[in-house]
Amino acid sequence: MIEAIQVTKTFNGRRVLNRLSLRISKGETLVIIGRSGCGKSVFLKHMIGLMRPDEGQIVVDGVNVAGLSIKEINRLRMRFGMLFQAAALFDSMTVGENVGFNLIEHTDLSEGAIHDRVEEALELVGLKGIQDLKPSELSGGMKKRVALARAICMRPEILLYDEPTTGLDPIMADAINDLIIEMHDKLKVTSVVVTHDMVSAYKIATRIAMMYQGQIIQVGTPDQIRHSQDPVVRQFITGSAAGPITDVNFKSLKGGSSE
Amino acid sequence: MRLFIEKLGQSAVGFVEFSGGAFCLFFQTLFWIAVPPFRPKQIYEQMVRIGVDSLPIATLTSFFIGIVLAFQSAYQMQKVNAEMYIPSLVSISMTREIGPVLTALVVAGRVGASIAAELGSMKVTEQIDALETLAANPVKYLVTPRFIALFTMLPLLTIYADFVGIMGGYLVSVYKLGLTHAMYFKMSFDPLVLKDIFTGLFKSLVFACVICIISCFEGMRVEGGAEGVGKATTQAVVLSFILIIVSDAIFTMIFYFIS
Repeated sequence: MIEAIQVTKTFNGRRVLNRLSLRISKGETLVIIGRSGCGKSVFLKHMIGLMRPDEGQIVVDGVNVAGLSIKEINRLRMRFGMLFQAAALFDSMTVGENVGFNLIEHTDLSEGAIHDRVEEALELVGLKGIQDLKPSELSGGMKKRVALARAICMRPEILLYDEPTTGLDPIMADAINDLIIEMHDKLKVTSVVVTHDMVSAYKIATRIAMMYQGQIIQVGTPDQIRHSQDPVVRQFITGSAAGPITDVNFKSLKGGSSE
Repeated sequence: MRLFIEKLGQSAVGFVEFSGGAFCLFFQTLFWIAVPPFRPKQIYEQMVRIGVDSLPIATLTSFFIGIVLAFQSAYQMQKVNAEMYIPSLVSISMTREIGPVLTALVVAGRVGASIAAELGSMKVTEQIDALETLAANPVKYLVTPRFIALFTMLPLLTIYADFVGIMGGYLVSVYKLGLTHAMYFKMSFDPLVLKDIFTGLFKSLVFACVICIISCFEGMRVEGGAEGVGKATTQAVVLSFILIIVSDAIFTMIFYFIS
């Protein structure tokens, strides 16, 4: 359904995505893990057309995203929902206006119908009755849930989650994990989750993909990843400070300072 | 020498990038103004924020500048017993020059800074990306309401500032220099021709474009969190001030040669 083919992206001479290839099947929950700053969020933004690859293609249902016009890309985006790392709720709007943004902007639904759809989406994330609050009145966990309600309000086919549990306490993080599973089961969506939280990854994933140095170095089920013999994957999933990932970083730092 | 040429080259590239980007945003804004939906509610909100909320500061600055103009011209006029020409000096300099420029500078400081800071904060908290993922064009949604509001409210504020400035001159001329009410208003408005008012209003339209495009452009290209927002805000105000003064000089010269 979604396929990344040899995607390359460079920022200021630094290659963040390096001929990355990955295939995401319809209906699965694929979790992309990797260190902070390794390009996971950049890859996610390529999928929804917020960034264009320098080389390679992102193909959604046989269509190259980078080749679409603004109108076509907006039509494609209506099939996506995205949850941002910091929720990215619009400060100037109420919760109800945030969640119903797409319905207000892109449909001819009456005010009453929009209100009902917003309430339904908020109920799905367990936040019924807060339509009139402002984002500044919400806690971090509530903001993420409202952002999730906004993402699902148009009943998308694909949901993208950028670090959904970052910055939350373990209990709230687990509640978000449960919500992601619930969304997958109830709405039958394809989910792509970017995270470095392994507890979350094991719990929600159908498959896990490990990103390292701009490439996907291993893809497998949670069990396959848990028992991976790849030293890079092992260091990451065990959260060890010593190993090939940190060796490379240390060497590149030493190389940089000696120049 | 090589370093100097490199720096010069970098500055030139930066200048071309900036001016190209700003012009591109200007033409995109003009395009999106013509595309429905027109969002009258948002435009009205911006008009209140930009126009109505600027009234107190516009009143204060224009009134005192009117007083200063009257006193400064009194120094010279009293030497040749020509106090009766003070009202004309005040009204012509207010409508042609000081009203439009002063109002634009005040609005650039108050509104331009607020626009750059608001859009900059939206950029760093990924709200602008969120807008795009919700298939809403950021230029259409964020820039066009502000552009229309500035384009209509700045000329209105200028007319108001002209009048308040003339009233400042009235206070000095009538209560300090001994001119009569009738004499003041006759000598203020008789020498004024429509061209004086129109040149001032034309300039204020140009200033409105400058303030809006520079502030929105600076805000929307913020990078690097709170520090970036601060820098963009300062840059937006400084650049708007410079461009207002430079474009004022250019249009004053053009109007001089035309007449």
